[in-house]
Amino acid sequence: MKFAIALFSPPHAPSSRRALRFAEAAVAGGHQIVRLFFYQDGVHSASSNVVCAQDELDLPGEWREFVQAQHLDGVVCIAAALRRGVLNAEEAQRYTRSAANLNLPWELSGLGQLHEATQLADRLVCFGGP
Amino acid sequence: MATLHVLSHSPFTDSRLGSCLRILGSQDALLLCGDAVYALQAGSVQRQALELMPESTALFALDEDVQARGLDLPARLTQVDYCGFVALSCQYDKVNTWL
Repeated sequence: MKFAIALFSPPHAPSSRRALRFAEAAVAGGHQIVRLFFYQDGVHSASSNVVCAQDELDLPGEWREFVQAQHLDGVVCIAAALRRGVLNAEEAQRYTRSAANLNLPWELSGLGQLHEATQLADRLVCFGGP
Repeated sequence: MATLHVLSHSPFTDSRLGSCLRILGSQDALLLCGDAVYALQAGSVQRQALELMPESTALFALDEDVQARGLDLPARLTQVDYCGFVALSCQYDKVNTWL
C-alpha cells in the first residue's frame, strides 16, 4: 500500500509524534510512503534550529533521521514555512534574512506536491490537532 | 465507501465526537487517539453514546493513549497499536482525520 502522510501540527503536539510513529509502523509493515508533506504549524518539525531538552523527545531530530534512513520525499509547504520563519539557504538569500534553518533532507515546495501525493498514494493520512 | 474516522480531540472540550458519531455510516469505523480516548471515562455520556453505536460500526482506541490515561477499555471497543492503525488505514477506503 502507498501512503501519503500530511502533518499539520507543531512538534510539541502529541499528534505530530503520532504521525512519526504511524510512518515508522507503515515502513516496518512493508508499506511505501510516497511523500511526507508538512503544512501549517507542521513546518516547525523540519526546522534545524529546534533544541529539545536532553530528557525530552527530539521530534524534529527523529523525523530527520527517519526521512534520511528511509530516503523519503520530505516536502515542506513553502508558504507556510516562510511565514513561520522556516527558510532554506535559497529563500534566506532571496528575502535577505541572516540565517537559514531548513536543510536536507527537507525540501520547500508548494501545495501542488500534496495534491500530487494524494494522486500517487492509495491513502492520504493526515495528522493534526492535539 | 467505508471510512476510518480518526479523532484526537477531547470530547469534553468540543462537539467533534458528537458530530462524528452522527455522520458515521454503518460500514465506517472510528479510532480514538490522544485526548479523544477520554470518551471512555466510566459513567460518562460519551462512553454511553459509544456503547449505543450499532454493532456494524467498528470502534477502536489507540492502546498507548488508553494506557497513558489509566482508562479501562469497554468491551465494545478494540484496542490497536500503531501496526493496527496502519492495518486499519489499509482496510478502510479513506482515512478522515478530524483535525
